[in-house]
Amino acid sequence: MTTQMPIAFLGGIGEFLQSAGAASPVLNAYLVIFAIAIPLTMAIALTVSGKLPDPAVKFCGLAGFIIPGLISIWLAAIYAAGNHDGAYAFQVVRDLGLERFGIRLHLGLNGIALPFYVLAGIVGMAAGLYAIQSGVERLRLYLILLLVMQGGLMGVFSSVDVLFFYFFHEFALIPTFILIALWGRSGRKAVALEVTIYLTFGAMITLAGLIALYVFSGAEHFNMAALRIGLVEAPVQGTIFGLLLIGFGVLVSLFPFHTWAPRAYSTAPAPAAMLHAGVLKKFGLYGLIQLAYPLLPQGAADWAPLLMWLALGNLILIGFVTMAQRDLKVMLGNASVMHMGYAFLGLYAFSTVGIGAAIMMLFAHGLSVALLFLLADVVEKRGGTADMKDLGGMGQKAPVLMGLFTAAMLASIGLPGFANFWGELGIFVSLFNSDTPWVLYVALCGIIISAVYGLRAVASVFFGETKGEFQGGDIKTSEKVPALLLLIALFVIGIWPRLVADPANEGVEHTFPAQTLTVTLPSTEISMTK
Amino acid sequence: MELGTVLSIILLAPLVSAGLIWMFARQRAALAMTLSLGAAGVILLCSGWLFFGLWDGASYEVSTEWLTLGSFKLSVGFLLNDLSALMLFIVAFVGFWIHLFSVGYMNDDGARGRFFGGLSIFMFSMLGIVLADNLFMMFIFWELVGFSSYMLIGHYLHTDEAAQAAKKAFIVNRVGDFGFLIGIIITYWTFGTVSLTELEQAAGIRPEAVTTLMGLLLFCGVLGKSAQMPLHVWLPDAMAGPTPISALIHAATMVAAGVYFLGRSFFLFTEEALHIVAWVGVVTAVSAALWAFAQRDIKKILAYSTLSQLGYMVAGFGLGTLYGLHHAGDAQTALYYGIGASMFHLTTHAFFKALLFLGSGSVIHACHHEQDIFKMGGLYKTMPLTTLTFAAGVIAIAGVPFIAAGFFSKDAILYVAKSTSAPAFYLLTGTALLTALYMGRLFFIAFLGKPKSKAAEKAHESPWTIVLPLAVLAVFSIGGGYLILYPPSLQVLIHDWVPHPHGADHQLMIIISAVASIVGLVLARVIYGAGAKTDKLETTLPPVYAISKSRFYFDEIYLLYIRKVQDRLADIIGFLDTLVISGVLVRGTAGAAGLLGIVARRLHTGSVSTYVWWFFVGLVLFGAYAGGFLEGILK
Repeated sequence: MTTQMPIAFLGGIGEFLQSAGAASPVLNAYLVIFAIAIPLTMAIALTVSGKLPDPAVKFCGLAGFIIPGLISIWLAAIYAAGNHDGAYAFQVVRDLGLERFGIRLHLGLNGIALPFYVLAGIVGMAAGLYAIQSGVERLRLYLILLLVMQGGLMGVFSSVDVLFFYFFHEFALIPTFILIALWGRSGRKAVALEVTIYLTFGAMITLAGLIALYVFSGAEHFNMAALRIGLVEAPVQGTIFGLLLIGFGVLVSLFPFHTWAPRAYSTAPAPAAMLHAGVLKKFGLYGLIQLAYPLLPQGAADWAPLLMWLALGNLILIGFVTMAQRDLKVMLGNASVMHMGYAFLGLYAFSTVGIGAAIMMLFAHGLSVALLFLLADVVEKRGGTADMKDLGGMGQKAPVLMGLFTAAMLASIGLPGFANFWGELGIFVSLFNSDTPWVLYVALCGIIISAVYGLRAVASVFFGETKGEFQGGDIKTSEKVPALLLLIALFVIGIWPRLVADPANEGVEHTFPAQTLTVTLPSTEISMTK
Repeated sequence: MELGTVLSIILLAPLVSAGLIWMFARQRAALAMTLSLGAAGVILLCSGWLFFGLWDGASYEVSTEWLTLGSFKLSVGFLLNDLSALMLFIVAFVGFWIHLFSVGYMNDDGARGRFFGGLSIFMFSMLGIVLADNLFMMFIFWELVGFSSYMLIGHYLHTDEAAQAAKKAFIVNRVGDFGFLIGIIITYWTFGTVSLTELEQAAGIRPEAVTTLMGLLLFCGVLGKSAQMPLHVWLPDAMAGPTPISALIHAATMVAAGVYFLGRSFFLFTEEALHIVAWVGVVTAVSAALWAFAQRDIKKILAYSTLSQLGYMVAGFGLGTLYGLHHAGDAQTALYYGIGASMFHLTTHAFFKALLFLGSGSVIHACHHEQDIFKMGGLYKTMPLTTLTFAAGVIAIAGVPFIAAGFFSKDAILYVAKSTSAPAFYLLTGTALLTALYMGRLFFIAFLGKPKSKAAEKAHESPWTIVLPLAVLAVFSIGGGYLILYPPSLQVLIHDWVPHPHGADHQLMIIISAVASIVGLVLARVIYGAGAKTDKLETTLPPVYAISKSRFYFDEIYLLYIRKVQDRLADIIGFLDTLVISGVLVRGTAGAAGLLGIVARRLHTGSVSTYVWWFFVGLVLFGAYAGGFLEGILK
């Protein structure tokens, strides 16, 4: 009796969603376009409107963030109710006259893209809500740039066409540089320049790899579905995979190409850090999962030994670097670099468990890192500094802030009950079944390292005697709402992981042909090109 | 109602309570208390219903799939059998009385919402461990009890001690979980399942697949959670938390989870692994008993005694299972001797250690947070009920024959030790004597003689919410060795699985227990005297006292490692990261790019608004391009 009712209830929702998905396929496909177009339209509206009253600016900004977020959740619900067998749902195909180059506007979502898409929607909502209340100077320009970023993010993960996939990424990236340069903390100009050079460099290598992939695969169209049909010959695979690994790797802060990340995130204004660290950075690993690994299994096998060492560098070396940090935001930036090591190890294991778990891990990490940057910003505003030496005892003055921050930190260090745990667990499980089970032993040291720096940060900011000035009281409602949004998402996936695991699993199982997952050719030498 | 539904109610009631407290009762202490106590009451009633009717004693399992990633499937479910039923009884019963105690004890605390919310989260996590039907689910709740322990140790936010202790507890447990998780993953890939029932069958069919490494890695989790050497360092520090927490989490239930886990997965341990398990237990039992002599803080003495008793349980599991393996009698029951010996002691220990901690809480409450036993004294006059119940606890832990629950359970462990390993037997017997001695020291100094401080003089008996739990637990501490106090469905484990000495062994055990307990208590009275002001051991035998006080330098060595190795290493790697990777490689590249930039700058104005405008020109072009207008224009 007690178990039947919720099932009937859920079944009812499922039926409704199924019928909604079937009844209006066109509408749902258009929603994918709207999710990109609405933030951009709002950005344009704010740009051309001239001076507007403050509430109007805020309303436009909010609409540009909330609507794509709601669309992403709606589409995820429709997707979950249907049966897709690895095919792209909600497809939009428009000929743009570039057919001879194999390029079309082609949007859609598959099981791999969906978690990232929803992540972009949810983090976008939180970042938008946090941005409109932040009280920065030149709010209009601030929101314009963030809206452009959001439009780009919604586009990156719903692009099937590879050129658009790349293009939307650039689209979201450029506002990041400007946001750092204009609203950053001290040293923003130098950091903005460094990040711009670094990431542009990474993006260019990626582009070279993507074009090479297109040329050598002999595919008819430059899109993800078409490329899968093509086949790249083994010797070339290694070269192309190398380009993609390095290019995407720079964008995801793979060791030793990581140094831009902590500096950028600690300097950037909080909403930009949330969107970049939370979502945009995932572009690199998303690209590897969606393109490089399924299309270039031989290349992946060639590069696996090197990737393993680099990923362990992320985990262990950057783990230690994180421990040595005294500035809360720099520490969080390093921690996010460290966690990318887990995701790379999930790819390294090269199994449905490992890659599915990497997707789960990236989803969870995006939510938790955005939440931590938001809360660290609140801490900095209250304490007047982000230096943990000068902070202390905030827990007595701001118990709610402490509760949220502690929960976010525990989520990010993989406490069960929050989404991050499942991804990490799946990656650990997959590692033992790889060719090098010993990697599991090393990788698991990460859970101790992250507990050390995470709890140290909580203890030094919130526990003990009150230190320094404290201004502004506990966390305000306007700051709490976006934080709770992210925390609830972490919690929901934490107790019901199938919401992310099912589409990810379906996507991975269909994207990776069965035989590629059994290709395990660990070359003993570290091949750079082959 | 179905059994599964009742078990779900038991598991979810505290979670619902915690959620409600978090949402509505953070600032409303009375509501938070009611919710938390109500959840504990629901757990107690539902488990009572299970034991007195609903459950027939047969093993019951139900599970549902929770997560699928490729070939990896993770399920959640319940496994109710003799072992988990006994643990459920302990958690529900002791948990309820400690909840009631907390209502009285925490009456002047400013953050009761957080406290009772945490208590409910703990009950949820602990029950999850108890009912879990597979290793991954157990690991999940294993981590969650670690979290609730972290949260509750750190309850007194403003003290640095609590902050450090909470952090230490979590990190040390993570070190243990490191091995635990590897062990679980190895088990998973070896047998293709983590379900406890399926594993038991698989291990029976393929005993050669069970390796010593697997068992020892799983045992790492026990080292952390049950605070066995060398991961015991967090437990004494954890006394920085409120006293009811020390009683519930750090004495009666959570720290015993390790021992419970051993019983739950006994089929995954080879003989070599069991030897190591047993010796870790023996060494912990002896060492912790020695360290108790240099402690002045009433809670710290009890904490070391908990370590020592946990050592007994772990040793009892290892020795008992070894004894069972080589035992000639009924093979099926003999396999469970390790579980019987350790779980029986776990049960009685839960009663008397919870009693002792709550008794110390009553004293601390009455003496305005004075915890030094040398500043107490003469409490028997002002706090007669507390003194009486505390005395019952001392008798129980010392193991006075026939009138102490600890006598029966310790007996079983000493008996399997005698039959398995002579050195272990001598060490454990010596520890029994030491136990009586240090508990006597605590009792005679703190409760007898004359008051030695204003606080002790003005002490008064505690309210009924505090005294009633003491009385109930005292009854079980004294009578817990007799079957009559247990629900019928739990008697199989406590009677049949516990190895009983026969004939000459039986008499020998009684004599040993009688001598160890009575001589220990009498010696304590003679050496320390009633209400002593100074520590006799410190004044007469300073070297011995120093050894005891050193606690074999575990904390110092770990601190040295953290300061000189871990933090140093972190600083060095951090420095290299900045200097080499960031400084030379990246800045070098950036320098080259900067040269290019000088050229490029001539093409740009450097003004941000120009960039923004260029950006939007691109944007408009894109819009035209995407909409197909561009194509039309070009044509």
